[in-house]
Amino acid sequence: MKGTTGRVSTLAVLPEEGLRLRQLANVRWGLLVAAFLLASIGLATIHSASSELPVDYLPRQLVRIALGLLAFVVVFTLDYQVLMKFSVPIYAVSLSMLLLVLFVGSEAGGARSWLKVGATQLQPSDLAKVATALLVARYLATANRRYLTVRQILTAACIVAVPAALVAMERDLGGAAMFLPMLAGMVLLAGVRWRVLVALIVAAAIVSAGLWSFAMLDYQRERVKTFLSPGSDPLDAGYQLQQSKIAVGSGQLTGRGYMQGTQSQLRFLPARHTDFVFAVLAEEWGFVGVATVMVLFTVYLLNGITVAMRARDRAAILLVVGLLSLLGFHVVYNTAMVVGLVPITGIPLPFLSYGGSFILANFIATGLILGADYRRYVNR
Amino acid sequence: MMEVREQRDELLRRLPVLRVAIVTALVAIGSCYWFVQVVRGTYYREMAENNRLRKAAIKAPRGLIHDREGRLLVDNVPSYGLFLDRSRTSDLGRSVGFAAGILQRDREELLETLDRYRSASWFTPVLLAENLSLSEVAKFSVRALESPEFEIQVDHLRLYRQGALTAHVLGYLGEVTDNDVRDSSGRLQVGDLVGRRGVEKSFDETLRGIDGERVVVVDSRGRPREEHGRQTADAGHDRRLTLDLEMQQIAARYFQDRVGAAIALDPRNGEILVLVSSPSYDPNLFARRLAQAEWRRIVEAPHNPLQNRVVQSHYSPGSIFKIVLAVAGLTEKEISPDDTVYCNGSTRIYNRRFRCWQSRGHGRVNLREAIRRSCDIYFYYLGQKLGIERIAQYSRLFGLGARTGIDFEGERSGLVPDRQWSERVRKGPWYPGETISVAIGQGPLLVTPLQVASLMATVANGGHRVQPHLALGNEKPPPPVPGIDPHALDIVREALWAVVNDKGTGAAARVEGFPVAGKTGTVQVIEQKTWIDSKDLPFEQRDHAWFASYGPTDTPELVVVVFVEHGGKGSEEAAPLARQLYERYYRTRFDARSAS
Repeated sequence: MKGTTGRVSTLAVLPEEGLRLRQLANVRWGLLVAAFLLASIGLATIHSASSELPVDYLPRQLVRIALGLLAFVVVFTLDYQVLMKFSVPIYAVSLSMLLLVLFVGSEAGGARSWLKVGATQLQPSDLAKVATALLVARYLATANRRYLTVRQILTAACIVAVPAALVAMERDLGGAAMFLPMLAGMVLLAGVRWRVLVALIVAAAIVSAGLWSFAMLDYQRERVKTFLSPGSDPLDAGYQLQQSKIAVGSGQLTGRGYMQGTQSQLRFLPARHTDFVFAVLAEEWGFVGVATVMVLFTVYLLNGITVAMRARDRAAILLVVGLLSLLGFHVVYNTAMVVGLVPITGIPLPFLSYGGSFILANFIATGLILGADYRRYVNR
Repeated sequence: MMEVREQRDELLRRLPVLRVAIVTALVAIGSCYWFVQVVRGTYYREMAENNRLRKAAIKAPRGLIHDREGRLLVDNVPSYGLFLDRSRTSDLGRSVGFAAGILQRDREELLETLDRYRSASWFTPVLLAENLSLSEVAKFSVRALESPEFEIQVDHLRLYRQGALTAHVLGYLGEVTDNDVRDSSGRLQVGDLVGRRGVEKSFDETLRGIDGERVVVVDSRGRPREEHGRQTADAGHDRRLTLDLEMQQIAARYFQDRVGAAIALDPRNGEILVLVSSPSYDPNLFARRLAQAEWRRIVEAPHNPLQNRVVQSHYSPGSIFKIVLAVAGLTEKEISPDDTVYCNGSTRIYNRRFRCWQSRGHGRVNLREAIRRSCDIYFYYLGQKLGIERIAQYSRLFGLGARTGIDFEGERSGLVPDRQWSERVRKGPWYPGETISVAIGQGPLLVTPLQVASLMATVANGGHRVQPHLALGNEKPPPPVPGIDPHALDIVREALWAVVNDKGTGAAARVEGFPVAGKTGTVQVIEQKTWIDSKDLPFEQRDHAWFASYGPTDTPELVVVVFVEHGGKGSEEAAPLARQLYERYYRTRFDARSAS
């Protein structure tokens, strides 16, 4: 038992080289490599997508990935249990940042969700999701029963609802909606009775109907409508949808070649370095490129499940699943949006889309998942 | 260390569900990409090409038209055209309103133009307006960023240098109709201009050339980035006409305040040197797409300026027709040159009184005298002898009652009446009295001025049928007309010389040194009971004046036919123009030849 408790401390105190190598073998490399490859593909695609933009976004994204890696190392090094202990203050800090954005935030693309920090801009909602995942995992870990009580479910929902509501108030509806799959992933894993689940779904339907009629802004309703009948508004949201589909489809099997996509190089494709970066990839690399990225995401997510399967405690399992739900749903929604299956909303693609705080959040999540895995043998 | 173990098994039992969910979702989305990229890939590739490629027609310059001496009749001048690309505007109504504001044109009018392009591809730019002024071009260029749907292109506009002078020969262009586009199997597109009348129409195919195409790569704002491909245009072929501009000018000037037609052609080959129909119109108005009001002004002008009287108007030939009758009588041996008839101003045939135009009578006349002084009585009796069937037969030998086949659209065939025609068309019998009227070129007999010119050419060249034409360079020797006795023609020709040169009715056409032969004609428009000088009548009731002639008499090189609607006497109104034309011809060509 003493030998194993030794592993609780950081890598720096380990005495032997051999031991260190053995411990490196404990890292879930497949997940990390997949994340690296995805970020690299993202870099190359962003470079191609920004060739017609006033600046090349490649160096900036490179800096962000470097920052992300730094955050990854820090989070990986810290014990997730320590982070769990501080999850309430972390949650509180992220809430106050979201509040701050509401008052002093700057606007971009219709959403007031950016916080200027010196020369760089920060989008606190991305980090708030990770912080919320930490707190929800901690809370649900204490419910040491087969099924959650309704009260527990509602408490978890409230933890999520506060930051989600703040993000929605920033007029970033898609960002707010991304809290939901995260919550659902964790709550369902923790156990929900069928009758409670049905009741929750009914309640959710009623609430979303209410949101549609009272809380949604016109442009948001418009986007959903455009999705349901494209062509009704060819120059706005329908135009984006159409141009994205043309970009994807014209890539055919093997693509038009790197930097050769006419839809992106001639600027027909909107938001091509951010939310629609996958369309650029699909156009230039064809179905081959799409399949490659899909396989890498599958590798990442399935490795993540494996981490959860062998995690040390309930909190780790719940945290990993919460983060995987968050990332996985981003992947599903973004790729579905680019190919025209779901309405357009500002959901970026993890690791590939340009965006500082989002890539930071992706790497922090990766750090948390791998950190939990690394400490799986540590006994309580 | 021996804490209560956490409840983990339930969580681990549920985890594989998540694994399945991840794989299912990603495979499902992957299949959608497979469908869009591989199954429907070609479709979207085509849409991408459509997105980035803009096709612009390179208009083939239309062939120029010259007269026989190479003088330019039709030119192409550059003009700025305004094109509207409907696929590039979100609000078509607003775009049209914007253009209407700058052009100061009626919005409805522009919408009508747009409407004509309904059948064309949505990506085909619509030619909204032509002939923009430089300030209008500047106004559109300034707003190019906000209104990327508009494009200014330099096009060519037809300029008819002689205006109304050559309008009936050259015709004009008009926008192609939907039917034409459908029938052209791709050679014509909506908005193209095609020949609508005259030479522009009959030689449209060769004048038009083949349009080229330029394909450029554009970005999402429609700014051209690079040229993707180009097919050069094949310019239309120039055309040289048989027309003589200077003689045409003389004839047109003569008709400035007259209504009628003049035609001059070469009896050796049918080349048309003069073709004038009056009144005329300015074809340059048609070069631009015509506004409704302008069009109405031309259509509703007095005496219908759009009518080409040379080929499209039917008239009675009057005394000109006596030539046909004389040839028929001699060939059929119904008369000999020396047979005489006594004319005392009128006679009674078939119980009806027929008057000679000369109320006091011509006295005793033989064939030569009857032609020279245009005695009606002589030809009444000759007509009676020949009968309508033989008159019709000889009329047809001279080309009456059928189109001459000129390389020109809209020609009418005239009418040679006979018994069969009367029964078939009029559903009634032919009256013998009508034969007597026809004998002096009245009655149901109708000819076009061009047919009269063709008839005179046959007389002049000794019985050969010429093909009147306007395109220079397809000369074939005219074939002889079987059934006309050349000897009979000699006799008639001598009499026609006398008409002009021996105190006959055509004395006004006499040219010193250039012997001209001809025949006058005066056509009564209303039946007159008494002899009234035509000049005292209102315009519509005055007689038509004919003069048909050729010269020089021994080796004829020029046939001139002049017709003045409601002009009065042919001897006074029609013959003087013929003289002017002969004089001009004599001075230039005849002189030049004898000098060398």
